[in-house]
Amino acid sequence: MDYHVTYTEAELVQGLHARDQKVFSFLYDHYSPALYGVVVKVLNDHAQAVDVLQDVFLKIWRYADQYNEDKGRLFTWMLNIARNTAIDVLRSKAYKLEQKIQNITDDVHLNGGPLTVYQSIDHLGFSKVLDKLTKEQRTLIDLAYYKGCTQEEISRALDIPLGTVKTRLRNAIIQLRNILNK
Amino acid sequence: MDAQFIISSGLIELYTAGLTSEKESQELEAAMHQYPEVAAAVATCQRNLEEYVKLQSVSPPESIKIRLLDLIHTYPLTSDTAITNADIPQLTKTSPMEQTNVLSVPETKGVSWKWIAAAAAVLLIGSVILNFFYFNRWKEFREYKDKYQSLLLSQNSIISKTNEYKTRLEKLTESMEIMENPKVMKVAMPGTAAFPTAVATVFWNQDDKQVYLKVNNLPEPAADKQYQLWAIVDGKPVDMGVFEMGDTASLLQKMKITGKAQMFAVTLEKKGGAVSPTMEQMYVAGKIPG
Repeated sequence: MDYHVTYTEAELVQGLHARDQKVFSFLYDHYSPALYGVVVKVLNDHAQAVDVLQDVFLKIWRYADQYNEDKGRLFTWMLNIARNTAIDVLRSKAYKLEQKIQNITDDVHLNGGPLTVYQSIDHLGFSKVLDKLTKEQRTLIDLAYYKGCTQEEISRALDIPLGTVKTRLRNAIIQLRNILNK
Repeated sequence: MDAQFIISSGLIELYTAGLTSEKESQELEAAMHQYPEVAAAVATCQRNLEEYVKLQSVSPPESIKIRLLDLIHTYPLTSDTAITNADIPQLTKTSPMEQTNVLSVPETKGVSWKWIAAAAAVLLIGSVILNFFYFNRWKEFREYKDKYQSLLLSQNSIISKTNEYKTRLEKLTESMEIMENPKVMKVAMPGTAAFPTAVATVFWNQDDKQVYLKVNNLPEPAADKQYQLWAIVDGKPVDMGVFEMGDTASLLQKMKITGKAQMFAVTLEKKGGAVSPTMEQMYVAGKIPG
């Protein structure tokens, strides 16, 4: 837990490729809250999210060689591992679409569930973002990004025409960009 | 496709959110190689979403890190040594296993259930044995029933045969009585020149003038033809009736009555008989003796 040391992105990649345990520890300290947030958001199940997060970091350790800087930032790669692993677990639980939607509706961030104990440092900032996105915009992004829903599934879940899903999602992300760039 | 068109198409947003098809993703990735501005737009969009994700960070329990560091220390992986999920001990035990305990029934109740189960098993076995026994009985009974029915059938056919024989015997006896009667005159009718092998005999009771016919040898006629007996009275043919062939032919057949006759003859006519005999179809003819 060497908090005083900081690494550049290139050093992190190099360290990971070399299976440097110090670098791994640094990655964990810096990125586990974000990755855990993703896993929790996908699964909405705390006990399971702990197992999945452990699995995610083992994958990062094991498949470090597969990371290619040309394809994007290290964080993007790690985020994708976390998201895909969690969505796989979600699917293997044979969750029905209705349950996915239920999970979105029961979102801990929206109504302050038991997860408030682990509330992130940025929660205030997040609330500001939430205020400026409509509920439908948040649901759109969450269903697509966190639940791995297809456009068809989203169209059915939100009862909006298939062709509209694309436009509304685009608007939601543009709105998000505007909020973040302020 | 030009870069600006792609950027404004909404495809980048869908791609970043994971909503593009495999084909669309490949197309966009190709465009990212071709146009740096497309790649930049994708990166921006990615960062926006990542920012959104980071804002929802949750600190995981401390125990995970200790566990992980221990794991990677125990399994110092190089890329070619695989680790399966089964190798990784799970940090948490989820509750389903414990819930089964809650569901299990208390001991005292378990005893009574055991007795009920045992009784049910005994009843089941008893039922199976009885079923087997009765099934065999039933099978036996079914065999007997079949036998009984076939016996009944042969019995019926024997009775009908017997009746047939009885009638036949009665008729034969009757024929015999007629033939043996001294008052009955026998008129032999040999075959004509056209049918030399044909033979028939007329029996003529002189008391009641009844005429009988016995076929000795006549060919079976066609279905639409029938033999007809004629009596020649004073040179004119008189119809004495048609007669049957087949089984009946072996018996004495009762014909019409005639008081006078010099001759008897048989012709083959259309079914039911003719008014006058067809001479060319005369099979047999015989004169009255004396």
